[in-house]
Amino acid sequence: MKILVIEDEIDLLESICSYLAMEQFTTEKAMDFESALEKISLYEYACIVLDITLPGGSGMGLLKELKANNKMDGVLIISAKNSLDDKVNGLNAGADDYLAKPFHLPELGARIAAIIRRKSFDGKNVIIIENLVIDLSEKLVKVGAVPVELTRKEYELLLYFISNKNRVIAKNAIAIHLWGDDMDVSGNYDFIYTHIKNLRKKLINAGSEDLIKSIYGIGYKFQVA
Amino acid sequence: MKLFTKYQRINLLATITIFLIASVSFYFVLHFILIDQIDDDLTIEEKEIVTYQKKYNRLPENLSVTDQIIKYYPAATRIPTIFTTEPIFDSLSKKEHNYRILYFGINSGDKNYKVSVAKSLEDTNELIQSIIAITFSTIILILAASFIINRYLLKKLWQPFYKTLSHIKDFKVSKEENISFEPSDIEEFAFMNHTLELITNKARHEYVALKTFSENAAHELQTPVAVIQSKLDLLIQDEQMTEQQSERLQSAYNAVQKLTRLNQSLLLLAKIENNQFENVSLINFKSKVEEKVSEFYEFWTAKHITVQQALEDISIKMNNDLCDILLNNLFSNATRHNIENGYIKIVLDSNEFSISNSGYAFELNSASLFSRFNHAATQYQQSNGLGLSIIKQICDVSHFEIKYSYNEALHLFSIKWLQA
Repeated sequence: MKILVIEDEIDLLESICSYLAMEQFTTEKAMDFESALEKISLYEYACIVLDITLPGGSGMGLLKELKANNKMDGVLIISAKNSLDDKVNGLNAGADDYLAKPFHLPELGARIAAIIRRKSFDGKNVIIIENLVIDLSEKLVKVGAVPVELTRKEYELLLYFISNKNRVIAKNAIAIHLWGDDMDVSGNYDFIYTHIKNLRKKLINAGSEDLIKSIYGIGYKFQVA
Repeated sequence: MKLFTKYQRINLLATITIFLIASVSFYFVLHFILIDQIDDDLTIEEKEIVTYQKKYNRLPENLSVTDQIIKYYPAATRIPTIFTTEPIFDSLSKKEHNYRILYFGINSGDKNYKVSVAKSLEDTNELIQSIIAITFSTIILILAASFIINRYLLKKLWQPFYKTLSHIKDFKVSKEENISFEPSDIEEFAFMNHTLELITNKARHEYVALKTFSENAAHELQTPVAVIQSKLDLLIQDEQMTEQQSERLQSAYNAVQKLTRLNQSLLLLAKIENNQFENVSLINFKSKVEEKVSEFYEFWTAKHITVQQALEDISIKMNNDLCDILLNNLFSNATRHNIENGYIKIVLDSNEFSISNSGYAFELNSASLFSRFNHAATQYQQSNGLGLSIIKQICDVSHFEIKYSYNEALHLFSIKWLQA
């Protein structure tokens, strides 16, 4: 699956592409309005990661171009502005999601995965990994045929792990994903630990392998073959 | 003391002093002139007597009239000419009246005589009295007139000054439009208004420039922070890390997160100041609070915090996003600064919303509590020192009043609904 990343800050562009490449995505890069426009009109992408402020024009202009040409590419806006207007305007103009800078790469990965899932949704919205079956529309999780009862946070956590499988996710990134940016309560990491411990226990009890690995105290990794 | 009360006092004092001095001198001058006039008359009389004597070699008949008495007394020697003022008993009015008397010596028929020519001062005194009376009434009239003029005219004259003052009172550097004063045709007021216009506009421009600067600075920081964070996210993918390296990475992560939060808080404050949260709707505050309570519940149970709630069904007019941020900040504060086995009490009624919590056993300084980067408040926590400023700012734009108090080992933040 091909993803186009349009971002004028080269270091961030490189980071995003390296991270997405780990999930077997093919990435293409564009650093300005002109080259982005060219790529958009020539190819189709599973998802376009779009920065709003670009040299040569606005990302909003690219979005309008896309919609005018009836392109079905999913669009994730990444913006440093984090203003409500940007978000509302972007979503109204047809973007699928909005992510404010700075963000954690796993968060970006999860958002892209969600967009692609929605776009390629063909009647049955189910993820199957190893012997895990996740019904996204019903929000049901099964190990084989055994249903697993998960809390909302545990379910979110599992989905987050699956979207970033085989990659180390920092505890900070998990905390922001679960509680949002502004719930600033000390000791969040203990809560992450509790949630992960419970999720792990429930999956193992239902017959799954131990898929969540703790990585040198800094984060976790959802490891599948 | 008002400027024109002070002015009036000085003015009144000066006027009265000047008029008094003037009146006294006027009296003496007038008196001197009139006496001089009478003395001239008496001298003429003397000359007439002397001429008469020379012509007829005898003294004239005593021709006293009402206000003029001439008397001859035999004298041993020739006496010198003198003017005096003496009282003389008037047999008609049975009163003593002041007379101006000229004594001079004359020689007639080989005999020396002392002649006295007296002229009544009664008319002169009356003249002086009436002149003084007129002068005094003029003074009083002038004083009264100036008092009234000062009182009413000055008040009217100062009107533009008070108008300008009231304009200045309403002035805020954060206001969008320039301040403008009513034009005045009085040079001083026009000059003052012009100067004030220049100063306020300059202050406003500098404020806007500063605000834009901090906003831009915060915006510009987002990208490098995003780069650092993304590089950290990639760095931890390396499986060959030692424990020490991962500890260092964790510190870097925490620092970046702090930086991100700080930046977001600054941007949020700027946005609130820029009125970017103008959309106000009627919000069911109770359900918002209940929603937040359920979000924070796991943090409270983990810390064994007892929560007591008394919530009335109250709806409040405010911006929805700001309401979320406000509650988030208040709840985070009450949680973060709490102690193990602590206590939180949440009260919502038609007057106010209040949240009190156990915590440090000392009162916070409420004077500087809500100011940005208040050092005392940030000392004991990992907060960025902007949480309470944001709460204050939100309360200000939503027309709420926030107060802090410390009572019975509980820190209480209460928000009073000032709006109708």
